[in-house]
Amino acid sequence: MNNPSISGVCKKSEHFSRRALLKGSLATGAGTAIPNWGGLFHSQSIASMAQKLGKRCILLWMNGGASQIDTFDMKPGKATAGPFREIQTKLPGYKVCEYLPKIAQQVEKLGIIRSMRTTSPDHPDGIYHMHTCYKQSERMPHPELGAMIAKYLGQTDADLPSFVRMGPTGNAGSGYLGPRYEPFGIERNGNMPYFTSPYLPAANESRRNDLLRFMETEHKKENSADAYESHRVAKERAWRLLKAKSLFDTTKEWPKHQELYGASDFGRGCFLARKLTEAGVPFVEIGQENYDSHADNFVCHKANMQILDPAWSGLLIDLERTGQLQNTLVVWMGEVGRTPQINNRAGRDHFIRGWTIVLAGGGIKGGVVYGSTDADGRDVATNPVSEGDLFATIYTALGVNPRTKHFVGTRPIWATPEGSKPIKDLLL
Amino acid sequence: MMPNSNFLRIKLSCLLVLACGTLSLAQVAIKQNKPESTPLRQTIDKAVQESWKKEKIKAEGKCDDSTFLRRVYLDLLGTIPSYDVAKKFLADQDGKKRDKLIERLLNDTQFSQHQTTLWDLTLFGRNPPNQDATRNRTLFKQWLGEKFTKNEPFDLWVRDLILAEQEGSELYYAQFTNKPEDLTESFSRIFLGTQIQCARCHDHPFTELLQKDFYGMTGFFVRLVVMDQGTSGSGEKQLKKFKIGEKNSGEVLFSGNQKELKPGKKGEPVKPKFLSGAPLEEPTLPANYKEPEFKSGTKSMPKPQFSRKEKLAQWATAPSNPFFAKAAVNRIWSQFMGRGIVHPIDNFGTDNKPTLPDLLDNLTEQFIAHQFDTKWLIREIVSSETYQLGSKGENKESLPKHFERARIRPLSAEEILTVMKVAGGDPEQKSEGSTGEYFRRYFGEPTNGLGDFQGSLSEHLFLNNSSNVRAFISRKKGNLADTINLSKEPWEQRIDQMFLSVLTRLPKDSERAKFASYLQSEPKSENLVEEAIWVLMNMSEFRFNH
Repeated sequence: MNNPSISGVCKKSEHFSRRALLKGSLATGAGTAIPNWGGLFHSQSIASMAQKLGKRCILLWMNGGASQIDTFDMKPGKATAGPFREIQTKLPGYKVCEYLPKIAQQVEKLGIIRSMRTTSPDHPDGIYHMHTCYKQSERMPHPELGAMIAKYLGQTDADLPSFVRMGPTGNAGSGYLGPRYEPFGIERNGNMPYFTSPYLPAANESRRNDLLRFMETEHKKENSADAYESHRVAKERAWRLLKAKSLFDTTKEWPKHQELYGASDFGRGCFLARKLTEAGVPFVEIGQENYDSHADNFVCHKANMQILDPAWSGLLIDLERTGQLQNTLVVWMGEVGRTPQINNRAGRDHFIRGWTIVLAGGGIKGGVVYGSTDADGRDVATNPVSEGDLFATIYTALGVNPRTKHFVGTRPIWATPEGSKPIKDLLL
Repeated sequence: MMPNSNFLRIKLSCLLVLACGTLSLAQVAIKQNKPESTPLRQTIDKAVQESWKKEKIKAEGKCDDSTFLRRVYLDLLGTIPSYDVAKKFLADQDGKKRDKLIERLLNDTQFSQHQTTLWDLTLFGRNPPNQDATRNRTLFKQWLGEKFTKNEPFDLWVRDLILAEQEGSELYYAQFTNKPEDLTESFSRIFLGTQIQCARCHDHPFTELLQKDFYGMTGFFVRLVVMDQGTSGSGEKQLKKFKIGEKNSGEVLFSGNQKELKPGKKGEPVKPKFLSGAPLEEPTLPANYKEPEFKSGTKSMPKPQFSRKEKLAQWATAPSNPFFAKAAVNRIWSQFMGRGIVHPIDNFGTDNKPTLPDLLDNLTEQFIAHQFDTKWLIREIVSSETYQLGSKGENKESLPKHFERARIRPLSAEEILTVMKVAGGDPEQKSEGSTGEYFRRYFGEPTNGLGDFQGSLSEHLFLNNSSNVRAFISRKKGNLADTINLSKEPWEQRIDQMFLSVLTRLPKDSERAKFASYLQSEPKSENLVEEAIWVLMNMSEFRFNH
């Protein structure tokens, strides 16, 4: 697929971080690790380490914020409990909601954090914060988790985009990492976005592209600036993506997988994510909507869980079956939890004092329930976890140093805020 | 160092009032108009060339005529020359043809339009706050456009921007309604070349800037009030008007380091203070003064007894201001040279030294001596040998640090749209409704956090497959594709025309031969011609000004 006449990637030796040295930056350039670099971590060596590990990440995004008390942190007998009953999981003594029966059978794969205490209580700021681990009000162009993973786990010469997303998802994009790592949005059924259907017949398109390759090769003989190369690489990536387009089409396989994942858009998105990560896409995010249940919380959650339960458990089973689970981290989270207090519209509002996020698969110790909330679920009782701690855990599980440093203009910025600590109990 | 600083305009207005007749104003004028012994363009070249010697750098030679033609068209007008203009210029034997071209372009109406576009983007960015008000900036651009059409001195239009009393100019403040801190950041960055925002939350780690400096500057903006004057039109045509008022009282409350902030802690009032300068001297308000309540819907308010805004306008644009003229010169330099002498251009400071400090001082002094004449400064820069260097070579840096080669800068979204129309042979072509928006979305912000160009997947999917782009390429009566298809000239000549139209250069022999065989590979040429023009418009050579 790679045309040999145009190099898609800079040779490492050509690109040895002169610019990075000049700018004191880790954000640019390829190259080997620089000895005597002092306290800085060299991003490219981190990337090559992580790539060697072959790690992937799938984010199941619960848009609006799922209720912890009605899922993984139930409070039977308390005023805050709600109408759902508990069911026993495979983990002795640990029970989850009756509407997660299939997930209950997968608990040995899950690392459940019941003690999220976060700081952005609303949707836009919470969505931003839980995608970047930084506050939106800082007005810095922070990249989303997906863009960071794309940078550190993606292959420059891959046919597929390195950050794919579907459904309702993040709002920060690739931020200071730049357009190279921007999210590629598709529909959960695999439908492609605008401008992915060529208007020319394949033969014309192909001869046209070859003529452009010829011209670029001529141009490259006398012009070496980085900017030109970036343009050429992006063009090749766009062509390769179109050639690999059929991978996004799940029409044929879906009927066979529908039973496992459940017949829903979200389930189909999870199946597609499994397919894409297997094909080398390092980060896929799938959003599920309708969690913002300020009214009729229980109706909403019952309906949502019936979609979520088969989709999520199906994904874990399928990843295990295809031998990918140990390399694929599956994150289940939204932007906020929901209040223990049930309001007068039978709803639950936004809650950030103690809520639940679940990790599974690559790099994560399964069958662990970490942290706890108090008897009524009104606050964290043990082991509070911040946004930064969560991201540090995710990055560590994926082999990316959570203290990786970039520069925005002259300002240094780290992958996670100062003081963030990975949760050791959850890491393999 | 600034011999002429006594004769500056701001002061002139005072002189007029105080001492009209006593000091000879005519003398001042003569002194100001006296030509320098060395033209600035030569000062530039001397300084740059000396630095190459010092750094042992081998620089590129002078660029060829077609490179110069395309470069200077893009930099001065934001477009490329038509086929006819290019052909004529390349054939012209006049030794002074570059200077003549520069003069013609500087006096073209598109020059002031292009400057307006650039400064509008500087002042608002791609995604300005207060979207509802800033989406349609017609009035602001009209206001700014007039300034550039008249070549109004830089300090004067900036002073009017700070005063915000002329119709249209109010929008700069209106984007920061109720956000004086954001306004402080924007203003200091653009006009004082200082990244003061670090000091918003904590004392600056690498410079002497303190949080109190930040809030001292904010004091000049904290009393401003944006008064909605109503809305006309709807949808994309919706236009909001504003007036800017200023209250008699109101202070910035400073509550210390953001990290140590406790809920409920009240801040202390901070007096306005000029950046790195003296605190503002102002009369104290009567102890019992009570500010009239500002009701939403208020359309006008009386001038305050003491206007902080006016004091800021005076201080900011004065030649004695250590930041203003220097920041302006550095920013204008970077428009043409790709990077500032201080780079990034808005980050002056002890931790970020200029590469050519003497040259920067020299440019600043002469800019002041020339009464902040932007057009003069631009003329001198683009006439320099430094600006007219070649852009090829093995250097990988897109923005060479010592200006030893021309910079490679991506065309802006606006430029690409204009250039595609000209290249396609129909400069007046109307584009469908969403085209402009798509161009801004896909070409709008092509850089990472450090300003390095990054090509994106979506940009190329758009270029490859969109009918919006195809509309400028495919055959239509009278456009380039049509002309080439109808022409009876030999293919070689038609290929020359295609290259000159799109890339402003003739093809190399190898390119001409390749295109000739491509275009004759089928009996019918129409598809092939369209494909060939698409190829030229998708080259990296096309994507950048080089």
